[in-house]
Amino acid sequence: MDFIFLVFSSFSLLADPVNFTYVILGFVIGTIFAAIPGLTATLAMALLLPLTYSLSVETALMACASIYMAGMCGGSITATTINIPGAPSSMMTALDGYPLQQQGKGALALGHAALGSMFGGALGALLLIALAPFVAELSLLVKTTGKFSLLAFALIVVVIAQRGRIPQAGLAACIGLMLATVGLDAMEPITRFTYGYSSLTAGIDLMPVIIGTFAIAEVLTQASSRTDITAAAAAASKVKIRRRDFLPAWSDIRKIGLRCYLKSSLIGYFVGTLPGAGGSMGSFLAYTETVRTSSEPETFGKGNPQGIAASESANNAVCGGAMVPMLTFGIPGDPITAIMLGVLVINGIQPGPQLMADQAGLIAPMLAALLFSAVVLIPLTLWLIGPYFIKIVSVRKDVLYAVIALLAVVGSFVSTYSTFQMFMALGMGILAFYLRRNGFPVITMLLGYILGPNLEEFLRRSLALSNGDPTTFFTNPDSLFFVALTLVFIYFLVIRKPAKTPEVAKTE
Amino acid sequence: MMLFNRQLIFLYFTLAASVGYLVTALSLGAPIAESGLTPAFFPTLIGGLAIVFCCILILQALRSGPEADPVEEGRNYTHVWVVVAIFFYIVAFQPLGYFLSSGLFVFALILLFSKFEKLLQKALISAAIVVVAFIMFQQLFGVRLPTLWG
Repeated sequence: MDFIFLVFSSFSLLADPVNFTYVILGFVIGTIFAAIPGLTATLAMALLLPLTYSLSVETALMACASIYMAGMCGGSITATTINIPGAPSSMMTALDGYPLQQQGKGALALGHAALGSMFGGALGALLLIALAPFVAELSLLVKTTGKFSLLAFALIVVVIAQRGRIPQAGLAACIGLMLATVGLDAMEPITRFTYGYSSLTAGIDLMPVIIGTFAIAEVLTQASSRTDITAAAAAASKVKIRRRDFLPAWSDIRKIGLRCYLKSSLIGYFVGTLPGAGGSMGSFLAYTETVRTSSEPETFGKGNPQGIAASESANNAVCGGAMVPMLTFGIPGDPITAIMLGVLVINGIQPGPQLMADQAGLIAPMLAALLFSAVVLIPLTLWLIGPYFIKIVSVRKDVLYAVIALLAVVGSFVSTYSTFQMFMALGMGILAFYLRRNGFPVITMLLGYILGPNLEEFLRRSLALSNGDPTTFFTNPDSLFFVALTLVFIYFLVIRKPAKTPEVAKTE
Repeated sequence: MMLFNRQLIFLYFTLAASVGYLVTALSLGAPIAESGLTPAFFPTLIGGLAIVFCCILILQALRSGPEADPVEEGRNYTHVWVVVAIFFYIVAFQPLGYFLSSGLFVFALILLFSKFEKLLQKALISAAIVVVAFIMFQQLFGVRLPTLWG
């Protein structure tokens, strides 16, 4: 209860002009990046990562939270108006949003998307605020062996969730784990895989890994694909939207029903808590569930506002869900929470069970900003600058990618003031580019890199405590729970093989 | 040639890197000593797993037969030039200072992503980007960027 009060009292921090400016800026930047096809809010956060060095931790985390929330709803703008989802999580929104646009009701579709995003984002944030302290208390019951099993569970789920390309995901995870082993050993004073380079003794820094994986790889992908967004820009210039068109009619909202908003948001929230699932999976599951239970399923895909509401409620609720494992166990649920974890680590904060107890004051403002972004900024920005957002795709590609490349390379210099990190970011960018090009999920590599050190440390500690007896992982109840959970997931995702994962979910 | 399509070359390279990693891991010593795991254990395990995954993927690619290479028509090497530009930018970053190296870098990238025309306009845009980024990094973020004048 204390934590809930702390979060709500943290709203006062938004009255600080500096915090408020960064939250608003974060939201606008997140929306712009999510709305431009090919760019993502993850990229926005990766580029802004160097900023965290000059900001207070609270301000940086508040800005990250607003980017996250904006990133989930921003993609719906271009998904609806020109049928090109700005973010993978908005793929399902395009199914009903674009037909509505073709019927001349594009603004109304955006209004429904904003309402769904607001509901889902707020519910996800509230659930996070309410449940995170209890999850943190529960997580205190997880000891060393259990922690290893939990991390192994997270990594295995991330790999097997990539149905149809499990070997690719497995190899990507191994590459991440290999990168994590470079440098000084965590338990003994010996260096590994430095090959004589003293710069590698401290290991590979998180900053160049994130910047390289997301920003530089994106620039290389765009350079190799030569995707022409001129058509999108031309289509965007024809779209005319007025502010009053954004407001959905009360009768429409009643027709969609509270049940649809609530169920979709809960689906999104719980999907978010699963490592590697992401917003696209959440919106897909919520959308299919809404179609399944609808009395008129034939209307979906033809401009049914219920489809937009389900998809957007779910993908924004994912924000709250994905933060639960990130804050309580240090396990990021998706690429954005992986970068947020980086912000915490860079600032010397170690996520885990003790975080809620020891440093709740740092986390509470971030959750307040997440809720604020959902409830206030989503409707406000859509109403104020919604009609102009669609013009975002008209930005010159040459200028856009030159700016991204400059910010990425100089940003990687910031952490150590050495060009070594810049080369490292370039190397990671090339690696991530080739992984993406060959169908390897780079988020799995990133999670392998992030979880690797703890995975190894807890494995060695567990076996040291049990005198080398590997049955310790099956005899300790906390560990056994996660082993059983892993087997359940393997059964449902690999052995039973339910419905094929949609392409939309694979893209994230 | 079926044995050397683009994806297989990437997998062969990854396999070679994984084998190199495993050999280095084994050179760290015995993975298990006195009932405990040594610093060599985890890398050995990961290196081994990486090799297994590589072999599975190579076998899958070989069994699935040759695939039509979608980039055959109009093959594009812009990304290679972008890598070259970033490499030389990093090399020149400290000796030439932020302004000169960044100006040339941004100008080069704008040319790579567009047509070789309106050079003066693009040079002016590059200069403006570099100045705005400098203000952002140096003044807003408090980052010390290298300059020619010290």
